[in-house]
Formats: sequence, C-alpha cells, structure tokens
Amino acid sequence: MESNVSAIVVGLMMVVFGLIGLFLIAGAADNEMFIFGLALTGFAICFNFGLIRRHYDRHEAVRAVARGRTHG
Amino acid sequence: MADAVYPERPVVYNDAVVKKFVIATMFWGIVAFLVGVYIAAELAWPSLNLGLSFTNFGRLRPVHTSAAIFAFGGSALLGTSLYVVQRTSRARLFGGEALADFVFWGYQFFIVMAALSYVMGYSQGQEYAEPEWHIDLWLTIVWVCYLLVFLGTVMKRVEPHIYVANWFTMAFIITVAVLHITNNVAVPISWYSAKSYTVYSGVQNALVQWWYGHNAVGFFLTAGFLGMMYYFIPKAANRPVYSYRLSIVHFWTLIFLYIWAGPHHLHWTALPDWTQTLGMAFSIMLWMPSWGGMINGIMTLSGAWDKLRTDPGLRFSVTAVGFYGMSTFEGPVMSVRDVNALSHYTDWTIGHVHSGALGWVAFITFGAMYYLVPVLWGRRALYSTRLASWHYWIATMGIVLYIVSMWVAGIMEGLMWRAYDKFGFLQYSFVESVIAVHPFYVIRMLGGVFFLIGGLIMVYNLIRTVTSPTTELPRPNLAGSSVTPNLGLAGV
Repeated sequence: MESNVSAIVVGLMMVVFGLIGLFLIAGAADNEMFIFGLALTGFAICFNFGLIRRHYDRHEAVRAVARGRTHG
Repeated sequence: MADAVYPERPVVYNDAVVKKFVIATMFWGIVAFLVGVYIAAELAWPSLNLGLSFTNFGRLRPVHTSAAIFAFGGSALLGTSLYVVQRTSRARLFGGEALADFVFWGYQFFIVMAALSYVMGYSQGQEYAEPEWHIDLWLTIVWVCYLLVFLGTVMKRVEPHIYVANWFTMAFIITVAVLHITNNVAVPISWYSAKSYTVYSGVQNALVQWWYGHNAVGFFLTAGFLGMMYYFIPKAANRPVYSYRLSIVHFWTLIFLYIWAGPHHLHWTALPDWTQTLGMAFSIMLWMPSWGGMINGIMTLSGAWDKLRTDPGLRFSVTAVGFYGMSTFEGPVMSVRDVNALSHYTDWTIGHVHSGALGWVAFITFGAMYYLVPVLWGRRALYSTRLASWHYWIATMGIVLYIVSMWVAGIMEGLMWRAYDKFGFLQYSFVESVIAVHPFYVIRMLGGVFFLIGGLIMVYNLIRTVTSPTTELPRPNLAGSSVTPNLGLAGV
C-alpha cells in the first residue's frame, strides 16, 4: 500500500519536473539552463519508465508465485 | 505489570537503495581523488590546464571539492544512514521504494548537474556553495525527500529507543537543510537564466557564507560521519559504545557549539571584532566535545584491540577517529586570531582540511564500506584482507605526504609574506613564495597519487568480494546446519 501511494506521488512529481524541464528548454536564456532543462526532462522520463517497469515486474512476480501454487 | 513479550517479526529491509549508494560512493571517491590529483599537478605545473577554459584550476577545483564532499561523502552518508536507521529502528524505509529511489537518483542528478555547471563556468562564487539557484532548488527538493524517508522510518520504529547514530544523522539532515536554504537565498536575473545574485551584501554575505561553510564542515563532514562512527565501530569491534552517556553529551555539546564557530574564517576582516572573538571562543570550546567523541570512539575497542591486527576495515575506522582528534585539535588552534594571522590564506589551511577530509571522512567511509559490502551482498568475507591492508598503508602514506608538505609550505608562505627588511619593506615578493613552495606542491601531488592508488585497490577488492566464488557463503546442507546468509532480515 505504502509502496503504491509512494510510486504514484513520486510519479506525479516526475511529470511536473518533466514539464518544468520542457519550459526551461523552450525559454532558456543561456547554455546552462538549456542543458539543465533537457537533463531534467530526460531524468523525469527515465525515472517514470523505471517506476512502470518495477510495477509490471512486481505483478509478474506475484503471478509467477500464484502459477507455481496452482501447477506445482 | 511486566512488559509484554512480543515475538520478533522479521523485517525485510530496503537494502537495494543502500547498495546503490555504496556503488556511487566508490565511483565518486575515485572521481574526487582523480580530479584532486590533476588539479594538484596543475598547481605544480600550470601549463597542465592545457589552455582550455573548462580544464583550468578555477573550474576544476569546485568539481574536486563537490565530488569529494557531496558526491563521495554525501553518497556514503545517505547510504549508511539509510542502512543504520532501518537496523536500529527495526523498520523498513518509510515511503516505499519509489521515494528512496528518488532520493538516490535525484541526489546523483544534483551532483552531475553541479559538476557540469562548474565546468561550463557557472558558479555563485561561494566556497562549497557553488551551484547556481536552479541546482540549489533541486537539491532542496531531494533533501526534503531524504528527511521524509529518514524521519518517517524513525517514527515508525519498533525499537523504543532512538540510537545515538540516528541523532547525529538527524542533526546532519536538518541543519544542512537550514544552512543550504539560508545561504542560497538568491534572486535569479530571469527564470530562464542560470545567473543569480545573493540577497546578502558585503560583510553580511561573507558572514552568512562562512556560517554556512563552517557548519557544512560541522554538520555534513562531522555530525553525519560521527553517526557512521557510532554504528560501524561497535558493530565491527562487536563491542558496545564505550560510554553511551558520553555519546549523548558529545551530541548536545557538539551541535550547540559548532553553529557559532563560523566567524573564525573571517579574522582580520571587516567583520566586527566581537564577532571574530565569538567565533574564536566557540572554536576553542569545541575541543571538549570533539575529544570526548574521539575518546568514546577509540575506547569502544576496549577488550578488542587485537581486532586491529586482523580487521583492516576496523583499522581504517579507528585511524579515522585518531585523525578526527588531530584535526579537531588543529582547527581550534588555527582559529586563534594570532595563529590565524600566520595561517590564513596559506597552504596550512589546505593541509588542515585534508587531514580531516582524507584522514577522518575518507577513512571512516572506507571502514564502513569494508564492513558493508560483504554484509549487503551476502558474502562470507572480504575477497582479500591483504589488499585492504595494502590500501590502508598506501593511503596513510599519502595522507602523511599531503599534510606534512602543506604544513611546511603553509608556514613558510606565512613567514615569507610577513617578513620585512631593515627599511620596513616586504622582504619577499609574492612570486618568490610561489617558487619556494613548488617542491611541496609536487610532494602534495604524490600524496594524492598514493591516496588514489589506495582507492583503486579498494574498488578492485570490493568488486572481487561481490563477484569472486571464493567469498560465497557455504550452501546449506541437508541436515540444515549451516551459516545463514545475510538477507537483510536480522535485527540491529
């Protein structure tokens, strides 16, 4: 339960950071801010992909255990 | 009524995030030592800056200090604190895996972004607070999440007592947050620009900066690592803390006194005299808690001194406490205004900082890493205690070369700068002092090379510890009598 809530909250936080990154890229007045915005968006996307992967990995593991019980 | 006895339920700890921090600690350690050696060589042979803006000393120096303090030291602190709080609270990390992972990756993102910005020439120009406003904001978010994870775990603990290591860590987290936010209040020239200006001006800026700077030493590099000391030395020695009461006195006196000592960085400046005296007086008083803590750490080995011969990890930790005592003796001496008149702006300060950074911070971290890696990866022992011993002696030689050369260079610089001839003119030009310290700069660089080689030996040893079949735990036999692998389930 705690894990699920945490994943949703952190995932939403990442969406916000990703959007902020896009705005920074679009309006950047210097190289530093352009690179920071790009990196922030990339970071947010990668992190959320990681969350999604872990979610399905966990489902997969639970299903594998259940399958083991039924057929084992 | 007698206390009810509840059966202990195994807790599955979140060790995945601790492992990541351990790997990051080793990686950033090598980066910090490598960049340190390179810029030390640049100081001895300036043409090594290659005439490029992004490899000049001014840009690479903050890369070195941030890599050493925030990347290497910070990763070690965050990782070990999350390990310790789970064991001493008998609770899994609060906030689930996602939040803990955000703390890890968010912190690494901060380090990479900060280093990149220094190399590109963006800096606030304030020592140990170089990152510009947008990176500061990011660190604040990550730090608040770290606080949430740590405090949440303490609050849901099963153990009734909060172990002293966690007190030190909480002081580290909360104070660093206050210092970071206060010192970095700045107005950006635009939301889309990396450049900003601090809200403080003149001597107030200097005072706030050194209140931050000194307490970064006091709470990041001291309190946090004391938390590490209070957990890993008793665990490695298999002895309780020598005096738990002394550890509590150590904690409260240290945090009360440290916060006032910052003005000693601004002796003989426009800062009011009384403020300088205040900083000096509190620095002298810091001898008490510092040495109390050192005695407590070293005396924890009572009855287990023989382990220093067989356990190189513990040898690192105990030597670290010795260096802690030495550098916390030297610091207050240097904070005395008349001593500071000689030492300030010289390489003596650099020697002092490195006796703390290499001798205390790095050595206590190495001790914790040598303890943690076999435990976290479920291995029987280190791959090679002989290699760990080699690391110990090579690194110790490196520190000796470093700090002795800097003492000699620093005192010589101080004496040359204040020397007058019979007519009242300065006896030496500045460049003469630069030429005079050249051999010591070369020796310092060699000390750094020794330390780097030691670090590489450690990384090889720890990688082999995780991968070598010789360190595997014996498989359980059918009778069921075997060593239980460490799965992160046990108690404190």
